Amino acid sequence: MFAHMMDGFYAAFSMANLIALVFGSFVGIVVGILPGLGPMVGMVVLLPFSFSFAPDIALSLLLGVFCGGYFGGAIPAVLLRTPGVPSSIVTSFDGYPLTQKGEAQAGLSAALLGSFGGGIISVMILMFLAPVLAHVAASFGPPEYFTVALFGVVLVVMAFRAQLGRGIMLLGLGFWFSTVGIDGTTLSERYVFGTLAMQNGLDIVPICLGLFGIGQTLILVEQNIMKTDHVHLSRSTLDFSQLWAALKYWKTLIRSGVIGTFVGLLPGTGSILASFMSYDTAKRLSPEKDRFGHGTPEGCIASEAGNNAVPAGAMIPLLTLGIPGDALSAVLLGVFTINGIYPGPLLLVKEPVLISTLYFSMLLINVAAFAMLMIWLRPFAMIVKVPGRLLAVVIMVISMVGIYAVNTRLFDAGVAVAMGVLGYILLRMGWPVVTLVMGVVLGEIMENRMRETLSLGDGSFMILFQRPICLFLLALTLLTIAVPVIRDMQKTRHQDPGASSENK
Amino acid sequence: MTDRSLSSRTHDLLGSVLGVSALILLILSPSLVDTSGPDPFYKGPLVFPLITLGLILAGSVPSLIRLVRPKDARWYLDGRGKPFRAVKVLVCLVLFLGGLVFLGLEISTLIFLAASLKLVGQDSRPKLLLIPLLVTLILTVIFKYSLGVWFPEPLVMQVFME
Repeated sequence: MFAHMMDGFYAAFSMANLIALVFGSFVGIVVGILPGLGPMVGMVVLLPFSFSFAPDIALSLLLGVFCGGYFGGAIPAVLLRTPGVPSSIVTSFDGYPLTQKGEAQAGLSAALLGSFGGGIISVMILMFLAPVLAHVAASFGPPEYFTVALFGVVLVVMAFRAQLGRGIMLLGLGFWFSTVGIDGTTLSERYVFGTLAMQNGLDIVPICLGLFGIGQTLILVEQNIMKTDHVHLSRSTLDFSQLWAALKYWKTLIRSGVIGTFVGLLPGTGSILASFMSYDTAKRLSPEKDRFGHGTPEGCIASEAGNNAVPAGAMIPLLTLGIPGDALSAVLLGVFTINGIYPGPLLLVKEPVLISTLYFSMLLINVAAFAMLMIWLRPFAMIVKVPGRLLAVVIMVISMVGIYAVNTRLFDAGVAVAMGVLGYILLRMGWPVVTLVMGVVLGEIMENRMRETLSLGDGSFMILFQRPICLFLLALTLLTIAVPVIRDMQKTRHQDPGASSENK
Repeated sequence: MTDRSLSSRTHDLLGSVLGVSALILLILSPSLVDTSGPDPFYKGPLVFPLITLGLILAGSVPSLIRLVRPKDARWYLDGRGKPFRAVKVLVCLVLFLGGLVFLGLEISTLIFLAASLKLVGQDSRPKLLLIPLLVTLILTVIFKYSLGVWFPEPLVMQVFME
């Protein structure tokens, strides 16, 4: 095992890998800083290029964008109260008041230290937890996998329970997209409508690229939300003394990193919840809780450590169960499968060097992103001045050519445009697009495992109740549905008397 | 998600369209799916699509009901205006795809970028010329020459060759 770790260590420090992760982090920071873009757009644009690389290098490139995006998102949140990525909105609660007081450096130092610390802590937890989970998952059969996937989709839908009907519809639509083409088990044609191109099915890459790449850029074309001329920084680099001062909140940093990792581990929960939970916990446990919301570096640390711990957290179910926790890790799953590597409990046994390389690359990505922002803080901050519409049009054309290049099929580009239209409509309407992506990603896993489970149970789902892990997961699934519903009912009951007394 | 969008007829219309489409597919599924596979139904290729379409239909029921009985719901998208500019750029994007076949990568990229930049309000002539040229050059070098991606020979070229 030590030998594999060392091989991974050397592979992570190879020149090609270092270039990939530094470039990925750079792109991630840029798309993270630009409000309205985010790491997803960066990842899907780079995805077609990554297919020509070895899997470890492709993963380093995309993970760089993934993590770098969260680093970059903090900059406009602190300086302009405009979150670069949605989860950075929590950072702006304390970061922007610090900027208003003339202490932007304190806010940025705390935010970036939080991002760095959260990232490192989460990778450490990933390194420790992944083998343990993989060991447990090694005893999994189709019924266990089916219940894990079921738990995942229920979590995703319940995360958007304010729009339950819409969430279910989009999840179903995602599932249906995954059934189009030739069925892998029976080789039967499904919904190909007599066309040859549809036989290959709807690939996850054009779907993601369309929904997020094209859809998001169409929104940017419509709403010029990125351009600003109000960026003022006293220094071009990060202030070391402020960084040192922020270190006194090390307990908050560690706690938030742990919270973020475990939130990221749960499918569909996402970085916004990680940020909120970390911030809320820090606020409750802090001796300076009155300063929260009025500008304290501790708030910035908590929020950023929480959201930057999500990427490594999301890697845990992906590597050990083959189940991506969110849309971003679903894209990473595409990189694995296109290289003939299938994530699951055996991945850690079959590809130990690749996994070790991945761990060290993630550590290095955090170092690279932190170092780049520390040195080039002002140039990066100035990126918010780039006109968004101009960038959106350029991203569109790169996406289209990139998606064609993956399989040299114009059909894929057509799918991306169609998904772009759907994504634009859904994003503008504020529908939970994530459930659609999770449906596409988990559709094949769910279907195959369900059919295998039914075959084992002679056509009955009762087999699920005969296996302890399935029973545990089903109970967890039920709790996931019941607890929020009961809480919502209690909230409504508490609110009603107030409302009636107001009416009186 | 605002309360207004939760009771919007535009949102309900989209939900209903999805629901009705799912219903049509559900009815047509036996003819759209080759069911000559394994005998027990649960091992076959139809069981999962039926569940997924059923899910869409179930999720759309509230939208369908609200669309028929709107109460105080209004036609509301998101309060950010009509999507004219996005539609225009989208048309350009579709034409760009066709252009890849008829005109080739370089010319269609140049035209798409120049037209789209003009549409999104870029009026500076040097930028309208330089940005498309630069992006086209970068894309051509990366995809055609570095990655060796094959692009269809432009139909226009074939006409001239003949």
